[in-house]
Order: sequence, then structure tokens, then C-alpha cells
Amino acid sequence: MIALSVAAVLAVFLLYTSIAGGGNPSISPSELQGRTGKVQLAGLVVGPVVGDAHAGGLRFRLRDIGDESSARVAVRYSGSVPDLFKVGRHIVIDGRLVNGAFVAAPGSMITKCPSKYAPKKSGDSS
Amino acid sequence: MPELGRAALVVTLGLVVYALVAGAVAAHLGRRRLAQSAQNALIAAFFTTLVASGVLVAALLRHDFSFTYVARTTSEALPTAYTISAFWGGQEGSLLLWLLFLTGFGTAAVRLNRRWARDLIVWVVPVFAAVATFFAFVVVAVASPFATQAAPADGAGMTPSLQNPYMLAHPPLLYLGYVGLTVPFAFALGALLSGRLDERWLIATRRWTLFAWTALGIGQLLGAHWAYVEVGWGGYYAWDPVENAALMPWLAATAFLHSVMIQEKRGMLRVWNVLLVILAFSLSLFGTFLTRSGVVNSIHSFTQSSIGPWFLAFIGVTMAVALALVFWRLPLLRSPTKLESPVSREAAFLYNNLLLLALCLAILWGVVYPMLSEAIRGEAVVLGRSYYDFFLRAFGLPLLLLMGIGPLIAWRRASLGSLLTTFKWPTLVALATGGVLLVLGAGASVPGLVAYTFSAFVGATIVMEFARGTRARKALGATSWLGAFSSLMARNRRRYGGYVVHASIVLLAVGIAGSSAFDSVAEAKLRRGESLAVGGYTLVYKSLDERQTANATEIRATLGINRGNDDLGTLEAGKNAYTIERQVSNEVGIRSDKLTGEDLFVIAEQIDADGSVYFRVFVKPLVNLIWLAGLVFLLGSLITLWPDRIEQRRLVARAAAVGHPATR
Repeated sequence: MIALSVAAVLAVFLLYTSIAGGGNPSISPSELQGRTGKVQLAGLVVGPVVGDAHAGGLRFRLRDIGDESSARVAVRYSGSVPDLFKVGRHIVIDGRLVNGAFVAAPGSMITKCPSKYAPKKSGDSS
Repeated sequence: MPELGRAALVVTLGLVVYALVAGAVAAHLGRRRLAQSAQNALIAAFFTTLVASGVLVAALLRHDFSFTYVARTTSEALPTAYTISAFWGGQEGSLLLWLLFLTGFGTAAVRLNRRWARDLIVWVVPVFAAVATFFAFVVVAVASPFATQAAPADGAGMTPSLQNPYMLAHPPLLYLGYVGLTVPFAFALGALLSGRLDERWLIATRRWTLFAWTALGIGQLLGAHWAYVEVGWGGYYAWDPVENAALMPWLAATAFLHSVMIQEKRGMLRVWNVLLVILAFSLSLFGTFLTRSGVVNSIHSFTQSSIGPWFLAFIGVTMAVALALVFWRLPLLRSPTKLESPVSREAAFLYNNLLLLALCLAILWGVVYPMLSEAIRGEAVVLGRSYYDFFLRAFGLPLLLLMGIGPLIAWRRASLGSLLTTFKWPTLVALATGGVLLVLGAGASVPGLVAYTFSAFVGATIVMEFARGTRARKALGATSWLGAFSSLMARNRRRYGGYVVHASIVLLAVGIAGSSAFDSVAEAKLRRGESLAVGGYTLVYKSLDERQTANATEIRATLGINRGNDDLGTLEAGKNAYTIERQVSNEVGIRSDKLTGEDLFVIAEQIDADGSVYFRVFVKPLVNLIWLAGLVFLLGSLITLWPDRIEQRRLVARAAAVGHPATR
């Protein structure tokens, strides 16, 4: 009986997560080309960073983490900017591609902590 | 020096391997002296690990940068307290700490229970040794804290946000919790292996589980408070995989602590309890795997390393062996009693267990979903906040209600009449509270209103229980009400300590509901003299100051705060720019109202060159109840944890005499 109820509950998760679509695909900048749906983009910040996140939007570019030669995606972001945001950092943002630029959902930016006590690596590009 | 550390760890590995092999042989063949020898090896392993830890602490304190670990995690200028905390700051050190706790707990648990559970202990020793073998192997061969290098002039130092008192306590508490869960796991496996599946393994490990569970709970709350005060994004929990990694074993352990009572009293749920312990332990390993392997995107990115596959393999082996043992012993795990009615205390506890486990699995599903969807659809899908919030409400709210029902409902079968008399007053209190809150406008958030109403219900049952118990003590001849109350607590610590813990969960629920369902937020760019109104407060941006401290430039905006006609003084919010680390951190301004538990939370998000500041302001009602809940939780746990000779003797006698639980 217990096993059955647990299984039933698990089935509900599956249904909920696949139907309600609570999630976004998580992709890297080089995979963005041609996608128009809402996605979560994880990448490394490439400068220059211009604009105002609270007036008109912050503009910068993202590339793949760990691939210096990958495609750059232009990003426009507004909303709160985490302390750790700067060129060279890994960030994760939600949004969608509009006319060749990635328009991020306001306030969706997450920066990854610089590794707690990780060794300093040159260029932070590991 | 590093040679001594390395040697100590190699000896540790040898000792635990011996304890594993000799212990298993001795237990299987019934060799008493060999078993004693294996036990001694496990104890000796604790002392050799202690030596290795001493070497590392000494190296940290001497700033010996020829230790790669020391150079990577500290610097000359780092204050002593944080230098010591670097022990558990890096991966290698935290694995060593894990091994230290593990062998220490193993030694203590084995020594404390050796007299009355000898036939169990002979099997517990090799299980402990097996887990210790894995960790000893990892620190010897995969991630050694004693790697050396040519010493650089100075170390890399520590991230500023981690140079914080919270980081002295938060990680080791979580480790105590994770490792503490090994004790019930080892005893459960010991019971399975020896075939002594009576209730003794539960009695032997109850306090250990409680201790681990308390440490995990407090550790998580400290982490949440740190995030709230220091990280400064206006929240305290983000459903991040690394946070979830600590929450999942806590939920599994909570379920276990409850279902244990059903086994002790009624002999039911035996298979279930063993499975829960295996799950809790596996989840604590899985948590470490998640944190360290980098398989998921997390805000917390720890050193990513090669230990991931080792952990995954170990979790796989652990679960396979444990489940095979359960399957093998199934005939011995049959319960002598059956559930008699779906309306009874046993049933209420069973529902509580199912809900806790469902919540735990929902979170697990959310954590592994990106990996699963990547494997199946070739695309990692990340589940957001709404997913977790949905399940927290769907399973958490009924759990809250059950917390009021479970402890009061009759064993075996509750009649309608008894239900009416027991729950008349709590129900009335809850309905009245709900009604009043609805009039006051709490209907804006239905889940919030439901949480408040259920909390009132549970609160009423707890007050009623204390009142009834105290009155009974008074009638039995206690001289004063206070005396009656304290003798009530002393006589049944487990029960009344449990109620105190329940009260803390009520506080937590009210705090979470208040701060997440009824909060208000406003944001605006203000020039000096301009103001912003939110949640009944008015904030006037008065001035901007810059100060230079030893290692940072501090910029602070001062705001004047008013509520209605009351002048509430000023509040500062700003940023620190750390010179050496070239890093900026938000320093939020928080004004806590001691009477209502409400916080005014100000973030200076962006400070422009012309002196205008972009502020984001939250008003979070009742949020301080969450931190108060932590204190009450600790108090309740201490009451139940406090050694109680009489109770222990009674339990031991009962288990020894019957070999079965007393069935009423």
C-alpha cells in the first residue's frame, strides 16, 4: 500500500512537471541560434558592459563557458544586478531570443559565487 | 609535517580496512576476541584521524603555504578564526572532517551500546568501517589534504562574503548532521546482518538520529539567516540544489523520527523504518555528491573535482547492498500488528510519513530533473521556484494540520465522539483565527490564510496539551503550578520536548507564510530628498557617505524612516568595495520591529555617479518568527536529547524482556 501511494505521488510529479511546463530548457549561448522559446541561458560574460539595468537595460554579450571561440550572444537585461556580476563571471539568466538579441526576463540574473575557496585560475575560463 | 599527516591517513585506511574485514569475519564466525580487535581498530582509526586533523590545523595556523590546501584557502592576513574555518572550507579538508566525525561517532556509538547490544555491535563495527574505508580511501588517494608544493609568498585568501561568523558554524553543523545519519544507518544494517531485528537498534540510535537531525536543522537555518542578512537579495531560501541537498535528508530523518515511535509502540512499519534510514543516509551522500561534482547549475559553485564519480559509485553500492539486505531479511521484518483503522494515531503518523517522503521525493525529482531530461530529451530542463512552491503547499500544508492531529488522536481506533471532544477547542480557535484574518484582509493569499489557520489549530492543541498535563500534575500533588509544569516536562521529555519542536515548526510556518505570501516590495531611483512609500512605511533618501576602512571602501545611503506619524529614525544601506579582492558586496539595511516581527529590508541596488540611488525595499511581516523558530527548535531538541536514565533503562528492559515492542 505504501509503495503504491508513493508510486502514485511520483506519477503526479511526472505529470505536473511535464504538462505544467514549470521548467525552462537550460542551454549555452552557442545552442541559442534559431530558438524562439523561453530558455535559461548559462554563459560567461564578455564585455563591454554598457547601459543602465534600471533605465533602458544593461547590454553585454555571453559566450559558452569553457569555449573561448564559441558564438557570442548579445544580451539585454534589466532588473537587479547581483554583486558578483562582471566581465568573466559565469551567469545564468532566463529569457528568449528576439530579433537576434537575447532579451532577459527582468530580475532573473544569477551569478555563480566565485568558487568558495577554489584555486584562482587564469582568465576564469577553466 | 605533511608526511606525518599523510602517514596518519594511510594508517587510518589500514585500520578501517582491518576493522571491516576482521569485523565481518568475526561477526560471521562468532569470534569474540577478533570482534573486539576489529572494534579497537575502529577506535584507533579515530585517533589517527585526529592526528591527521591536528597536522592540518597546525599547518593552517602556521600559514605553511607549502601545503597546497593551506595556500589555496587562506592568506597571511586572514583572521585566526577564519584560518581555522578553512579546515572545512575546502573539499579535501571537509572530507577529512567527515572522516573525523565518522570515526568519532562510530567510536562513541559502539562504546556506549557495547554492553546491552553486543550481538548487534559486532555487525555495526564492520558497517562503520566500510563507510570509513570509502572516506579514508578518498582522502588518501583522490583528494589528499596533504598535497605539497613550492610555497608561494602568500595564499589565495578567502572570499569576503565567507569571512563571516555564520561560516564558522554553518558548514560543520551540516557535516555533523550528514555524518550523524551514518549512526542509525550502521545500526540498521547491523540489525539486518545479525538478524536481530527487534527494536534495540532503534533505541540505540534514537538520540543519535535526533542529534544529527537537530544539527542539520540548525545548520540550515543559520545558512538561511546568513543568506538573508549577508547575501542581501531579500530572501532566505532559493530552492537551490545545494540548499535542497541539506533539506532532503532532514525531511527523511524527520519522517524516520516519527515512524520510529510507531514501531516502538506497535511494532509496525519495520521495513519502512529500515528503508527510511537507508534513504536518509543515501541522501546525505547524494548531497555531498551534488555539491562537489558540478552536475547541476547552482548558485553555490564549490571546487569541482574528480570525486564525483567515486561518490556516485559509493552511493550505488550502498543502496544496492542495503536493499539486498532488506530483501533478504524480509521474512524477519514482518510486523506482528496491523493497522486497525484509518482514523487512529498510527494512521496519522503514517500519513505524516507519506507526506514528508512525498515532499522529499518531489524535491529530489526537481533536483535531478535537469539531468534526467538531458539524458532522455537531450536538453536539460530546469524546474523553477513555482515547481517547488507548488509542492511545498501541496504537501506542507496538510503536514502542518497533521502536526496538530497526530499527537492527540487515540491509538488503534478513534471514535467520532472522542474526536469531537479532543478537537473541539482547537477547531474553534482555528476557525476564529481564520475568520478574523479574513476580515483583516489576509484573503489576499489563500495558501497564506490556510497556513495561518492551520498554525492556529496546531498552536491550540499544543497549549491544550501543556495545560492538561500541568493540571494533572497539580492534581497529583505538585505544590505550585510552576512545579507541576516542570515535573511534567521532566517526566516525559520526549513527548513535551516534541511539542516544543512542533511549536517551533508552527512559528516557522507562520514566519514563512507571513514573509512570502504577505510581503510588499517597491523599487525606485531616488535623488537626495526624494521618498518612497511601501507597506505603511515612508523612506526618505537623505545622504550618501563614503568611508575608507582597512580593506574596503564603504558607501552608505542614509534613509529616514517614518510609519504614519512616527519617526522611526534612520537606516543605512549601501555597498562595500573590497580593494584587494576587487569585489563589491551589497550591504543591506534591515530594521526589525521587535513587537511584530516585521522587517523593513532596504537594498541599495545601484549607486550612480550623480549620487542618485536605485533602491529596492521589502516589507516582510513576521519574518523574525523564522529565526525565533530556530531557538525554540533548539530548545525542544535539547529537552528531548537530554540524557534520561530512567527512560533508557525502561526501554532497554522492555526490549530485553520481550524482544518485541509492548503491544497494547
